[in-house]
Formats: sequence, structure tokens, C-alpha cells
Amino acid sequence: MNITIEQLKKNFGAKVAADIENYTIQSGDMLGLVGNNGAGKTTLFRLILDLLKADSGSICIGNFNVSKSEEWKNVTGAFIDDSFLIDYLTPEEYFHFVGKMYGLKKDEVDERISKFNRFMNGEVIGQKKLIRNYSAGNKQKIGIISAMLHQPQVLILDEPFNFLDPTSQSVIKHILKAYHEETGATILISSHNLNHTVDICPRIALLENGKIIRDIDNHDYSAEKELEDYFNIKEE
Amino acid sequence: MLFTIIRRNEKLAAKRSPMFDKNRFAKFLIYFMVAYWAALLLFMGVTLPSAFESAAPSMEPYHILNQGLIYVLITDFLVRFVIQTATSHEIKPYLLMPVKKKKLIDTLLLQSATSLYNLFWFFLFVPFAFLSIFRFYGMTGIICYLTGIWLLMVLNNYWYLLCKMLLNEKTVYLLLPLAVYSLLAIAEFIPEGNPISTFTMNLGEGFIEGSLPAYLSVIILILLMIFINRTLQIRLLYSEISKVEDTKIKHVSEYKFLDRYGEIGEYIRLELKLYLRNKTVKTQFRMGFIIMIAFSCVLAFTDVYDRMTNFICIYNFAILPVMTLGQVMCFEGNYLDGLMSRKESIYNLLRAKYYLNCLILLIPSLIMIIPIIRGKISPLMAVSYLLFTVGAVFFTLLQLAVYNKKTLPLNANVMRSNRGSSLFQSFLISCALFMPLIVNSTLTTFLEQNTAFIIMMLIGLTLTVTHTIWIKNIYNRFMKRRYDNMEGFRDSR
Repeated sequence: MNITIEQLKKNFGAKVAADIENYTIQSGDMLGLVGNNGAGKTTLFRLILDLLKADSGSICIGNFNVSKSEEWKNVTGAFIDDSFLIDYLTPEEYFHFVGKMYGLKKDEVDERISKFNRFMNGEVIGQKKLIRNYSAGNKQKIGIISAMLHQPQVLILDEPFNFLDPTSQSVIKHILKAYHEETGATILISSHNLNHTVDICPRIALLENGKIIRDIDNHDYSAEKELEDYFNIKEE
Repeated sequence: MLFTIIRRNEKLAAKRSPMFDKNRFAKFLIYFMVAYWAALLLFMGVTLPSAFESAAPSMEPYHILNQGLIYVLITDFLVRFVIQTATSHEIKPYLLMPVKKKKLIDTLLLQSATSLYNLFWFFLFVPFAFLSIFRFYGMTGIICYLTGIWLLMVLNNYWYLLCKMLLNEKTVYLLLPLAVYSLLAIAEFIPEGNPISTFTMNLGEGFIEGSLPAYLSVIILILLMIFINRTLQIRLLYSEISKVEDTKIKHVSEYKFLDRYGEIGEYIRLELKLYLRNKTVKTQFRMGFIIMIAFSCVLAFTDVYDRMTNFICIYNFAILPVMTLGQVMCFEGNYLDGLMSRKESIYNLLRAKYYLNCLILLIPSLIMIIPIIRGKISPLMAVSYLLFTVGAVFFTLLQLAVYNKKTLPLNANVMRSNRGSSLFQSFLISCALFMPLIVNSTLTTFLEQNTAFIIMMLIGLTLTVTHTIWIKNIYNRFMKRRYDNMEGFRDSR
């Protein structure tokens, strides 16, 4: 499913958080969004998910304008931060809750969760703990799994590698790659970890002051050099 | 130096609290309440001397007030639970600073003694002292007396801090203040001559006369309390700062019977868990539930408020919804982004809230059968008020889902969590609270009581039958304001 951005503008006071003239993420693209703090990555995600009002312009997921319809929500999965988690539920309860929202039966949910067993590493399911009492890394895992549970055609993850231990980072990279290959879903990932982004995203957008300043083809994993140059220059 | 820094930070924390930052009404309300209590104490301070004089001409007014000092101290102790935080909560941000823990604890303890709150009761004692002590002991007597009262308040402050710290550790420590106050009550009421109030009367007189033993006894108790507080705080510091509540839950409730109701059932399950697993929500719900049951029982089993059956009957139904639905969406503000990324989730959530609150009304309805059988209220009245609540009161309260936009913490203490009611929120809650009585008295002005009940029943019934329509309307209006609301929820999280 395509994501089409047109004449999008969002300012917070004098600060430009998003300023994108025309940008299309094609159906089946796996796009990595990179940029320094404050570049506007999370804002762009929030705008795509209709959690923020754009000053002007529009975003469409497929044929649905996100601010005018809710149909896109059935085909979209997202995890941005803890505010997506209902923290007084146990992970199992939360997964079942999310599953129910998308019309999944408990058995189906359990079966889908079992595919993430390696990612959960025996620390998430069956702990009889409320989500609020889990570590930041495990909360991140719960959020990512819940976003993928209904096998969305559009998957949006903000900093999915944050808080995860190196093994889990590696596992989630494989999970995302495999999911992309199996389902052909459109996947958007933001990350400060350039290596991970280059490893899994065939296309990378570089964001600066709300603008996409470079749209890099990374099919041959060649983006790393360009990105490193960019970020090194910024450090000087 | 450290003392000044901590004091300044506390002032900034209060001033910049997100709950107050954008809410002038909340600020006004707090200032108004403080001014109200100050004025009330002032009024008491001015009027009590003459009242005591006429009530007990053989005694001086200050003797009588001093006899009641223990009650003032108990009241002060209870009030502190509402307005004063435990010092152990304030230590955490400074722990990594290059300051010794003991010095930090000492500073926080010292600071609590110098808190202006310890002088709040002066609104009562200063005018009282001028009117009753001045003529006998002059200005010196007043200063000596007020110094003694201040010392007692400081002692009470440390006693409160000790109890609060222990209570944070385990609820069973509630037995400590209960035991102390029970012993005091036994000592006061069982032997002849009310020894406790006689002791406080003598202590007060000692203060007025500048008696050194009177001051010394209180100062020694203060030092003892500081020592106990200090020792315990050092000992409990690590358990306090690493405290995680309900790390493991013993039994995970599933409420399987809700499975058959699809998405709505799922949201009702979510509501039940919201009420049962979060400290703030649980406390609020419990308070409302107790008041509701109390109203029901008063009506069912006593004849005390027979003249107020109208009032008690309606609030028996309406009080709990007013307390819970008045803050509709505020707790959901904590995870609203997740809800908003799913289609029509808020619509289903609102319906679930409506159905759950309707179900809860079964409890007062059942209790209401007793006064009906006893002939204290008519069945028509009970059914009329029940339906009016389910229809009109819920209709009014759920409108707040469109306008509430301040996240309330799920697990803060109740007073902290209640901060931030907007003017409109307060207005709608007042409407829901007073509307049934206003509607009833307006109707009974022109019509028979029974006709009024039937009209109220019809209003309620109409709104009950059409609930999906008006909840959909609330949902559509919420969606129109969603960006504004989400920003509000995010900012106050």
C-alpha cells in the first residue's frame, strides 16, 4: 500500500517539524528514516498516523486520506512509544486486546505470538507481570509485536532498536526482513543506528529540519558511506 | 546552600506543574480553598473567645482551647496526608549529586520543619491569643504561646512524616497511628478527669507563662522524632527509591464471560482492569462505591434522613457515575495514541463505559428494594431516578469525553491526580450532580409528584434507548477535536 505525502507542513512555533512537498513511499517499500535529534522523524510518523494535525497538506495511505477516514487503521500497525501500551495489562492480555481490535481470535493471536518466541526470549509471556513492571527493552518488544500482530500492510516503527540488547536487535532485524519478504508490506523505520538501517532498508530517507534532503537507494548497501559522511560533517 | 537549592526546586516544581501550567481555574480553586480555610480559622479565632466565655464562665477561653489541642493536632495530622508529600519521595533526584545522603535527609527534614504550612493554624491561634491571652500576659505571653504552638506543629509534622514513611512501606503500619490515637482516647475517656485534655491545658498554660519544662518537653520529643525519622529514612532509602508495586500479580482475571460481547466486551474488560489495577482509579472508584452504598443503606435501614429521600434516592444512583465519568478519557490519556491508531476504538470504549456504569447501577437498585418494601419510597420514584440517571445523567457526563484533555496519572495519590479540572469540566459535573434535583423541583412546581417522576422516567428512557446515537455523536465530536485533545493529553502526561 502506497503512502503519499503532498505539500505537508507542520511547524511548532518557529521550528519547522515537517516540510515535505511531494513524497511517495511505494507499496512494498522498506524505508529507513534517519536524521539527527529534532529532524522531525517522530513528527512525520505522528502525522502519518493522524496523531498530529498538519498545518497544511495531506497524507494518504493507499486511497485513504489519514485525516479524513479511519479505514487505513485496519491495514496499519505502528509502535512509537510507551503511550501505545496499556500498561496495566499483562503482555498476553494486551496482545489479545489488540488482536480482538483486528478481529483475531485468541488462538490465532497465540499462534502469531509464538512466532516471536525467540525475540521475546522467554521474558515476556507467562510472567504474570503488568506491562508497567517490565524493563524498557521488554516494553519495546511488546510494542513491536503488538504492531505486527495483525500482519499489517503498512508497518511503522519509531526507533525499534532502542533499549534492545544486541541479540534482540539482531533478531528483530531478521524478523522485519522476513516479514517484508513474506508479506510485501510497506515498512517505515526510523533509527539512529545507521548500521541497522543500512542492513535492512533498501531505501533510506535523510531528514533535516523537517525536510527530506536525500532519498538514497540502498539496494546494494551503498548508503552507509553517504550517511556516515553526512553525520560526520554535522559533528564538526 | 543545599537547603536553598531544594527549596527553590520545590517551588519551581509546584509552579511549573503541567496540571497548573495551563489551568487558571485549577490555580484559582486551590487559592480559593486556601483562602477559605484561612478565613474560616480566622473567624473561629475571633469568635471562639467570647463563645467559650459564655459557655464556661468559670474558665479562661485559652484553657478550653488548650484542652482541645489534641484534636487540633489530630486534624492537622489528617490534613497533612492530603497536602504534604513524604520527604523520602523528594530524595531521589539528588541522590547522584555529590552530597552525602545523611546531609540530604537532614536538609529535607529541616526543611519540613520550616515549612510555612506549620504556621497555617496561626490563622486560628493568633487572633484567639490576642483576644484571650493579651489582657493577662501581654505581648510576651502571646509570643511564648505561639512559639509553643509552632513547636507542637513541628512535632506533628515529624510524627506525620514517620507514619507516612512507614505507610509507604506497608499498609499494616496504619496500625501505628491507630494504636497511638486509640491509646490517647482510652487515656482521655476511661479514667476520671480527662487526663489528656488536662495535660494539654497545662502544657498550653506552660507555653503562655514561658515555662522552660513545657518547651523542653516538646523540643525533646521533636529531637526524638527527628532521630527516628532520620534513622528509618536511611534504612528505608533503597527500598523506597527502588519500589515497584505489584511486580507479580497472583491471579490474572480474564472475565471470560465478556468474550461473547465482541469488541464491546473487550473494552468492558479493559474498563474493569482500569478500575481494579490502578491505584488512583481504584481509590476513586472505591470512594464512590462506598458513598453509593452508604446512601443506599441510609435510605434502606435508617429513618434519619426521611425528609431527604428525594436527595438520597437520586444520589444513590448518580454519585458513583459522577465521580468516575466526570474524568472520562483522562486516564485513557496515558495510552491514547495506541487507542487512536485503531479504528473507532474510542466509540467502542465510550459504549463500554456506558454499559459498565449501567451494570454498576444494579447494586443500588437492588438495595433500593428494601426501602420500597418498607414503604419509604415509591417504586415509581426509584425507577424514575434510575432511568433518569442511566439516560440523562450519563448523557451529560459522557459529553466530557469531547472536552476532557488532561491526562491523569493512573497511580498517583488521589489529591495529586485530581488536579486539573477545567472550568467546563466542573460545570458539566455540577450539571450532572444538580440536574436531577433541579428538574424534579421544576416539574413538581407545576405538576403532581408522580407526574414529575413519569416525565423524568420518560426523559431517561428516551436517552437510554437512543444511547448509540448520542454516543456516536459524542464520538464524532471527539474526532473533530482530536488533535487538540491529543496535544493536551500528551502535554499533561
